[in-house]
Amino acid sequence: MFDGLDISGSGISVHRRWMDAVSDNIANINTVSSTDGEAFKERMVVAQAVDYGSGEGGVRIAGAEFGSGEGRLVYEPDHPLADSEGYVRYPDIDLGDQMTQLIMAQRGYQANLASLERATTAYQAALQLGKG
Amino acid sequence: MLISDATMTTLHAALTGLAQRQRVTADNIANVQTPGFLAGRTDFESSLRTELRQGRTPAVSGGSIARSLEPTREDGNNVNLDSETVIATETGLRYQFALTALDGKYGGLRTALRTS
Repeated sequence: MFDGLDISGSGISVHRRWMDAVSDNIANINTVSSTDGEAFKERMVVAQAVDYGSGEGGVRIAGAEFGSGEGRLVYEPDHPLADSEGYVRYPDIDLGDQMTQLIMAQRGYQANLASLERATTAYQAALQLGKG
Repeated sequence: MLISDATMTTLHAALTGLAQRQRVTADNIANVQTPGFLAGRTDFESSLRTELRQGRTPAVSGGSIARSLEPTREDGNNVNLDSETVIATETGLRYQFALTALDGKYGGLRTALRTS
């Protein structure tokens, strides 16, 4: 009955999960691993339209894709995880890129929230019909 | 019929179409970052206008949805948040306008039903 709210709600939830993924990437930007293991992989959420043909199905997270686990090797001989040559593996995540994504996710979240408020206003007006 | 004359049916059809456009716009905004998503556009005015010109009472059904042919971004998406916001605001106001008109019709009906 109030389908408009579900559509905006799906957009809000997708953007929030995107923000979660970016936060996780930033939190692990300095997570060190040994050279025989993989570096922390950047997580990227994949959005997908639900029932694309109807034009009012909303959106969902279809899955996640991961960045490269190769990372970059840094010479830190004092690190407990350093290999015999003194190298450790850092994730290859660009903070600038993550911050850009964070702002995009935030703005998308806000746009969906505004859209939810517009739908609420319309529904509330419709509920007043015939009362005058 | 007295209760649902052509004006009321037309307003009902307009409200249905506007509500649908509101949902399609919400869907566009929800899919602002979905790769390959083309913005949906609702049209109910043209069929409504045709039916009214031919003197028929319009059927209350939703409009047709087409996909925007505007140029896409790198990810194949062409949702433009500016134009979606404008469409959503305009649709919201038109919806309230149609509601007010329908409310006026109901008010007239109520007056007519009132006994002295």
